[in-house]
Amino acid sequence: MENRLLINLIPGDTFLHRLTGKTKVRTFIILLVYIIMSFDIRLIMPLFILSIIGLVSLRPNWKKVKYFIIVITVVNLLNIVLFWLAGPDIGSYWCGGGNTVLVSLTERLFLSAETLWYLSVRFIKMITSFMVSLVFILSITPSEMAAGLYSIKVPYKICTIFSIAFRYIPDIARDYNNIKVSLQTRGVELDPKKASLKSRLKQNALILVPLIITSFERVGNISNAMDLRGYGRGKTRTYYSEHEELKADKVFKAIYIILLLFCAYWIITQNIMPQDFRMWYPFV
Amino acid sequence: MSTPIVEFKNFGFRYKTQTSPTLHDINLTIHRGEKVLILGPSGSGKSTLANCINGLNPFSYDGVITGSCKVAGMETKNASIFALSKVVGTVLQDSDAQFVGLSVGEDIAFALENQGIPRKEMLPMVDQAARIVGMEDFLLHVPYDLSGGQKQKVALAGVMHGDVELLIFDEPLASLDPRMGMTAVELIDRIHREQNKTILIIEHRLEDVLHRHVDRIVLMNEGRIVYDGEPDRLLASDLLTRHGIREPLYIMAMKYAGCELEPGQKLSDIHELDLSPFEEKLKKQHLAKVDKYVPKIGEEILKVENVTFAYGKDPVLKDVSFTIKRGEKVAFVGKNGAGKSTMAKLICGIERPREGRIMLNGADYTSLSIKEIAEKVGYVMQNPNQMLVKDMIKDEVELAMLLRGRSRKEIDEAVKKALKMCGLWPMRNWPVSAVSYGQKKRVTIASILVLQPDIIILDEPTAGQDFRHYTEIMEFLDELNREYGITIVFITHDMHLAIQYTDRAVVFAEGEVVADDSVYKVLSDDQVINRANLKQTSLYTLAMRLGIEPEAYIEHFINYERMVRDHGKPAAD
Repeated sequence: MENRLLINLIPGDTFLHRLTGKTKVRTFIILLVYIIMSFDIRLIMPLFILSIIGLVSLRPNWKKVKYFIIVITVVNLLNIVLFWLAGPDIGSYWCGGGNTVLVSLTERLFLSAETLWYLSVRFIKMITSFMVSLVFILSITPSEMAAGLYSIKVPYKICTIFSIAFRYIPDIARDYNNIKVSLQTRGVELDPKKASLKSRLKQNALILVPLIITSFERVGNISNAMDLRGYGRGKTRTYYSEHEELKADKVFKAIYIILLLFCAYWIITQNIMPQDFRMWYPFV
Repeated sequence: MSTPIVEFKNFGFRYKTQTSPTLHDINLTIHRGEKVLILGPSGSGKSTLANCINGLNPFSYDGVITGSCKVAGMETKNASIFALSKVVGTVLQDSDAQFVGLSVGEDIAFALENQGIPRKEMLPMVDQAARIVGMEDFLLHVPYDLSGGQKQKVALAGVMHGDVELLIFDEPLASLDPRMGMTAVELIDRIHREQNKTILIIEHRLEDVLHRHVDRIVLMNEGRIVYDGEPDRLLASDLLTRHGIREPLYIMAMKYAGCELEPGQKLSDIHELDLSPFEEKLKKQHLAKVDKYVPKIGEEILKVENVTFAYGKDPVLKDVSFTIKRGEKVAFVGKNGAGKSTMAKLICGIERPREGRIMLNGADYTSLSIKEIAEKVGYVMQNPNQMLVKDMIKDEVELAMLLRGRSRKEIDEAVKKALKMCGLWPMRNWPVSAVSYGQKKRVTIASILVLQPDIIILDEPTAGQDFRHYTEIMEFLDELNREYGITIVFITHDMHLAIQYTDRAVVFAEGEVVADDSVYKVLSDDQVINRANLKQTSLYTLAMRLGIEPEAYIEHFINYERMVRDHGKPAAD
């Protein structure tokens, strides 16, 4: 079965791939906090650049990745255009009240330097969070993810859901295809050229019945197999996929701890006790 | 005498969901180091018995235990499934579902992870377990790249760690091709000898298991033990046929010849068995007159011409050509991935050939849609649960007609005919969920026949079925062929099926047709057998030992067998 998902099941061999699941999960969570907490381009820009370096260093399959990058970029561009349409003066609120009009279409629709700045920062922030997530997803295997979540005290039964889901998604996809084909031979028309959307939806519902029944059979077998190998026996468990911490993991640990402290400082001083909502704007 | 590891005393088990017990009065002792086969038809309670040993009963399937069952000194009703899993390792039938890890290494490590063993100690243990089953070079492979046999080896490695003393194999041969099945039996035997484990095999394929020695056979029927003892005595008796187990072919041949079988004769091993007392009778039997079976075959109906097909770059089928005539029964055989299922998909129009053409009644039909082709060629999937979508049998059968917008009158006529052909007419208003597996299979066949196709293709029609259900399904298909002249293609691993119920085998190996001939000719050709992962039948060995040409011997046996099947056994002369 071809692996059509972005996810790797077997770890790769680049620098980021070789980190432990624990390092990856922890770094990812802290980086997300770091991105969300501010609208400050001085904080976001370095991470944006690092995430691009990270992505390149993973040597991903660009064909698959390209599609995601294009979709996310287009959606986010659309998002900021809508923001602009909803409130062309939104920038002056965030950038200290100035309103330097650059282009004016009508009385209501104008583009100010402040709004342009605000929307650009917003766009970069969104793209950065996407890039960091992409790097995370490409660098981790589902088993490492389970191990990493377990390391931050998520109960292991919840962690297992991640790895098991990825294990059986291709199997369920194969069942779905088999059932689809058998129904097609009996006359269910799923060709968009020959059947309307409504009738296709209705006929797709037919596939669900056998799919659910076969999936239940499978779930029963899986849970028996797990019980018989002692799953759920103890309160703790270990992970085969989680290798010992290497030097790089220790370096990352130092970095993410410092970053965590910085985030805590920033959130307390800038978010919890804010003097004003102004973002950093160099052209006041 | 060694110490017992499993001890049943007046044991009974009833599932909470059922009103009467599944197991009655079980008294059985299994000693350390023994290798025992638990034999029985479906529903005889053999799997229930195994699940009472490994703890699935009553921990996963709730039920009531009477009497006592001790495993390694633990009374199972007081022990936990976890405590039992330290002593008992179980390899389940479904090799796909039990593969819970995302790689071979992870799956083998799963039990160790659950015990919380540090990774440093885990690695050498995983390595060692993988080495025992010969999977050490595959640790980083994902399950989707493995064959059924490899997955089974991984499952075995995953339950063999540490103190596990008893290994239970639940229908280990069910989803393997003949050669892989033979390898599995050999592997189990090696583990038994080298690792010093107690082995319990649950199976109904007696002949395949007897490929290697077993110490003892326990025969079960209707929840009771009907035989417990050495294999030879069981083979000499008539218990097997009485309880719906297929006898090994060589034993059948000897019984047809009127040989008097005695327990002391090493009957369980075709190579060791002393044939001298039977030689005369066997040779005489070979000369007995049989009606030569001539299938009713009409004109050419399907013609496959130089077909090449690939999913990606590597061709799955290379320049394949063959023909099928009206009224024929043809088997597609070969190992998994050899291209036989792909060929079936091409014939049904699910995939289209890259090169070459497929003709039905002299016309190339590959430009038609799947739906249109389905009116000429029907495809019945292996698992009926993947085909059944309606609540009522009648609704299920009429679905294909309904979706084609036929008139009510036309539909009713066609449905009635299909249901009558399949013997389902009295059950037409029954819910689909209420009928047995074999009947579900009939419902799926009826739902295909309703379109009155010229050919039907069945994918492993008897997979997972015991001899009784197997016979029921195959006799029904034979009747469809005989009475209604329907051309049938079987995709199968089962050589018994191919021998007994088909006229011809098309053998696939690595995307090519390596043989296209009568089944007994195919099974007498070493080269074909090796290329296609098939296995010689015991008849071949028997013929060689008697100094008779195997091809002729097998053909004679098949004709004789068919005669017995159709007219009962002729009076001994």
